Amino acid sequence: MDERRTGYLLSILLLGQLVLVAIEGAHSTRSRTYAEVIGMRVLGPVAHLVAATSGAVTQAGGKVKLQGQLLDENRRLRQEVEQLRLRLLRLGDVEEELSRLGDAVGYSAPLLGEIRAVDVVYADYTSWLRSLMLYTGSRPATVNEPVLAAAGLVGRVVVVAGPYAKVQLVTDRAAAVGGMILRTRRQGLVRGSSQEGNALALDYVPLSVDVRSGDSVVTAGIDGVYPRGIPVGTVVAVEPGGQLFHKIRLAPAVDLGALDQVYLLEHAPLPQELTRGGGADAHR
Amino acid sequence: MRIAKLAGGLALAVLLHFVGTRLLPSFPQRVDVFLVVVVLSALDGNTFSAVLFGLLAGLVQDTLAGGNFGLFGFADTAVAYAMARLSQRLVIQRATGVFAVVSFASLLQQVMLAALAFLLLPNPPLPDPLAMLEQAAAKALACGVLGMVAYGLTGRFRVAVEARRRGRMGRLRLG
Repeated sequence: MDERRTGYLLSILLLGQLVLVAIEGAHSTRSRTYAEVIGMRVLGPVAHLVAATSGAVTQAGGKVKLQGQLLDENRRLRQEVEQLRLRLLRLGDVEEELSRLGDAVGYSAPLLGEIRAVDVVYADYTSWLRSLMLYTGSRPATVNEPVLAAAGLVGRVVVVAGPYAKVQLVTDRAAAVGGMILRTRRQGLVRGSSQEGNALALDYVPLSVDVRSGDSVVTAGIDGVYPRGIPVGTVVAVEPGGQLFHKIRLAPAVDLGALDQVYLLEHAPLPQELTRGGGADAHR
Repeated sequence: MRIAKLAGGLALAVLLHFVGTRLLPSFPQRVDVFLVVVVLSALDGNTFSAVLFGLLAGLVQDTLAGGNFGLFGFADTAVAYAMARLSQRLVIQRATGVFAVVSFASLLQQVMLAALAFLLLPNPPLPDPLAMLEQAAAKALACGVLGMVAYGLTGRFRVAVEARRRGRMGRLRLG
């Protein structure tokens, strides 16, 4: 093909992609494209294979190393299970009491839904366009499904391609989560921080509000995506950001670098009619 | 044959990217394997194949990265074309030349990505300028080194294949 025709082809391709990016940007959503779904279907199995191979190699190496420690660990875990059983009994009482009180005043707490474990097959949490790819098995994930780890919130599903799902991490600059300072119940907006790699920022908390280092921040449940009460992070620094709001930095609750398995939370989000107004920002 | 070579290069880049990320979590931030493959393929000066391969590699990268789909596709297509045009005017025979070209291509790609994100996205997920400059320079150097190594290895492979072919032809002539 001569240079002129290649020039035309280049112009068409660049313009097409520019329009694609601009449309996605204008809609403020992470909408999926067929090319991305096809790409995930092709690349997902490769990522899965590499993850499985790497896991098997690590496991084989670890087996030899761990054999001597297994007895001690088993004893320690048995004790821990006993303690947790006792705690569960106590919490069962508390739950029943709460439910009785709720019935008395006619309050029904929203159901959290089912949690299922899925494997992480690819994780890039260092570059500025960070992402996480999951293998969900025969039951595919759904878009906007919250993704959790044992320590707290990881993010939400943005693209689903068969048994693979792409996650927007909570530390992504383009992500936003309705957050709440647990001690004061004050709400704000948690975003990925542009200043530091894996830090978070809690925006729109007025200067009049008391915020301290060490305060826990959980999801507020106001954005229609995440249910209330999932740990998001801990306040590490509070500075006067401007005339109206604090500048609050958070350390994420989850160590994103150590994820090999996460949990998908299947819960019923708010109806779309309700989320179109105030909570729309948090859907990005 | 050329298509098979390009497909093989892309498959190798995907595998290297996955393995690298698994072994070193900051791998995608430090090296862009896809860009190296795109630039090396564009060095033969064929703009048409460079554009198509750049597009394909970019879209593969978009699939793996967060952010809006098409950012890498745009940047890699443009960089591939620019490098193919550049190689039509330059004679690159030494590995140091490849280092310079790949490093320059990496810087160009990162500038393009940042500009696209800044201009088209409402809340661009960019780090602060100083950190970004530092990262971009380190990534460009790493890509340059990888490009140089890959060029050297493929060169040796090519020489070995050629020598084998000549040897075979020699045997045929004698027989």
